[in-house]
Amino acid sequence: MIRDISLRKEEGLVGDALWESEEMYRLLLDGIQDHAIFMMDPGGRIVSWNAGAERIKGYGADEIIGRNFSCFFPPEDVGRGRPEEVLRMTAANGRHEEQGMRVRKDGSRFLASFTIKALRDQAGNLRGFFEFSHDLSERKESEARYRGLLEAAPDAMVVVNQDGNIVLLNLQAERQFGYHPVELVGQPVKTIIPTGFAERLIADGTRTAAAALAQQIGTGIELSGRRKDGSEFPVEIMLSPLESPDGILVTAAIRDISVRKEAERHLAQLESRYRGLLEAAPDAMVLVNHSGEIVLVNAQAKKQFGYRRGEILGQHVKKIIPEGFTERLIADVLQSAASAPTPEVRAGLELTGRHKDGSDFPIEIMLGPLKSTEGILLTVAIRDITTRKKAETLLLRTVQELNRSNEELGQFAYIASHDLQEPLRMVASYTQLLSKRYKGKLDSDADEFISFAVDGANRMQRLIQDLLAYSRVGTKGKDFGEISSEEALEQATTNLRGAIEESGALVTHDPLPTVLADDGQLVQLFQNLVGNAIKYRNSGVPQIHISSAKSDSKSGETKWSFSVKDNGLGIESKYFEKIFGLFQRLHKREEFAGTGMGLAICKKIVERHGGSISVESQLGQGSTFRFALAGSKGKS
Amino acid sequence: MEVLLVEDSPGDVRLTREALRDAKRSIHLHVATDGVEAMAFLRHEEAQIRAPRPDLILLDLNLPRMDGREVLAQVKADNSLKTIPVIILTTSEAEADVVQSYQLHANCYLTKPVQLDAFECLVKSINDFWLGEVTLPPPSQPR
Repeated sequence: MIRDISLRKEEGLVGDALWESEEMYRLLLDGIQDHAIFMMDPGGRIVSWNAGAERIKGYGADEIIGRNFSCFFPPEDVGRGRPEEVLRMTAANGRHEEQGMRVRKDGSRFLASFTIKALRDQAGNLRGFFEFSHDLSERKESEARYRGLLEAAPDAMVVVNQDGNIVLLNLQAERQFGYHPVELVGQPVKTIIPTGFAERLIADGTRTAAAALAQQIGTGIELSGRRKDGSEFPVEIMLSPLESPDGILVTAAIRDISVRKEAERHLAQLESRYRGLLEAAPDAMVLVNHSGEIVLVNAQAKKQFGYRRGEILGQHVKKIIPEGFTERLIADVLQSAASAPTPEVRAGLELTGRHKDGSDFPIEIMLGPLKSTEGILLTVAIRDITTRKKAETLLLRTVQELNRSNEELGQFAYIASHDLQEPLRMVASYTQLLSKRYKGKLDSDADEFISFAVDGANRMQRLIQDLLAYSRVGTKGKDFGEISSEEALEQATTNLRGAIEESGALVTHDPLPTVLADDGQLVQLFQNLVGNAIKYRNSGVPQIHISSAKSDSKSGETKWSFSVKDNGLGIESKYFEKIFGLFQRLHKREEFAGTGMGLAICKKIVERHGGSISVESQLGQGSTFRFALAGSKGKS
Repeated sequence: MEVLLVEDSPGDVRLTREALRDAKRSIHLHVATDGVEAMAFLRHEEAQIRAPRPDLILLDLNLPRMDGREVLAQVKADNSLKTIPVIILTTSEAEADVVQSYQLHANCYLTKPVQLDAFECLVKSINDFWLGEVTLPPPSQPR
């Protein structure tokens, strides 16, 4: 009886070298879990046991060693003498393969596939047997499980062996290619994937199928699939290996990518059309990727910056726009493009562009995102604004000049009038004093001389006062407020009550609106106009009527048009403009007092309020002065 | 009545003098042509040792050396002088001047009219009001 080798060692029956190699063999066997591997003596008694056997049959090594392997057979087989028969056949043929029912330690049965080999020594004597078996139901179970997975997969799945033939396929595969499963099993995979798949599996001299396969695992390969009807469509296949006792099989997931391919084609088409537009654009256009590198320049851009295409493609956009085109800006635009449904265009950024020769020029850029096959790109429209900038600078300078000049003039007018008053006051006062004290005491010539001097001084005083009043319209103008024009008119008539009483004038008005104005100046305006109407009266009672009418301006603001109508002397049409000039009079001093500033002041006031003043008149029939003011924001 | 006129323009001095001529009361008009002279007069300094204490001060603002604003400030800060009414009589209409004068406790502010008659009228009003109607503080300090 051959007993356990370790026992034999102990008994000193086996040499060290032999023991060691057998020990390694034992370790190897123990590593195998899926298969039961054990040795028997010629009578069928178990002498060795591996972990796989323990797992499959359920017996621990110490429980089973020494027992006959017939205990694995179902009782009815034992009754028939099956175990002995198996051994006899094996001894006779050297090896026996069979599938049959076996019994586990717990009594449960399972279908097993086993191979028994006879062990003979050099002399040919039977030394024992060696069994290699596995639980078929496990295999069948895992196969069934695998098949279940296959069927459940959303993609078409095909299992191919190393010869390139289909061994298994799922429902999706049938559907996709238009075949019955039986039509494809056993067929070369070339039937459905004409090129690109089978070749990859072939083990050539330089590598094994496993290595070839290892290279393809995980990557999606784009190929062409062929349906039963011969039509082809684009597919993407993903491979994964599958171990089997028949060798390594390849599972291929096949995805129909027609839709995706169409979308890509469409996108590429859109992109090429867009690029076409870009090329033809009148502005310089540059396409920049997310790193800021220039991927496209149109003809205009090349011209503007002085580069040839080859010189500028791939360069960073900093080369043509040295500053301001920051990573932050790029990221900003690209990010907003990714999240927003409609692309947002950033316009009006003023930066500096640089020519190839290094000279700089002012530019205005407009940025917009572009979805392309390469990801989101940035389109940059570049406009040379040198001329515009020059014009702007000139304009700004001119305005500054004008402002300064105006201010100077204003100051000048004020200072002049103000400082002229002092000495003038002396002249006027003393000539008047002279006149008062010495009138009649000197000769008549002296009286006349003195009276001319007094008159001159007085006129000069009034002129200067009016000039001061004129300059104050601008310099002492207050902010506009909501003013009742009726109240302003009332104030003006109060100020004129002396002249009104003296002339017996009748001043009437329609309801007047609230306007946006400087209250003091509005009073002054009415006062001058009504005062003039009284002064330049005809015979009879002076009648003056003030009315207003609403008109909506183009911008939707309310504008009020006022008219001051009198029945006075009237004005000849050729003087309609002249009368609004500085120091312009139509009458001699003896006829009417006045400096000729009244209407000039009115005009300045009205213009300060953004309006204009005009007159309609007929000589001998009175005049109507019209002017417009902006209405208040609220109701009038 | 003693009136101190602080005014640098001789023309205005003369006009004021003429306008103050009044049958009803006798007015002694003293003139200082700048702030320094005015303070010397008021404080009886040096040559002004025998200066009388004025019942009223007519003060122009724009004066050489020391201007009227400074005089006003000093008078109204001085316990022995602050009770004398100070009337600002100036060509300036500037709001800033008006505000400042009242803040420095001027008794009133008057703008010199441009026309002669108006000027004469104004001076007469000052005369009638301040020297006629108003009860002035009694002479409080011995000289």
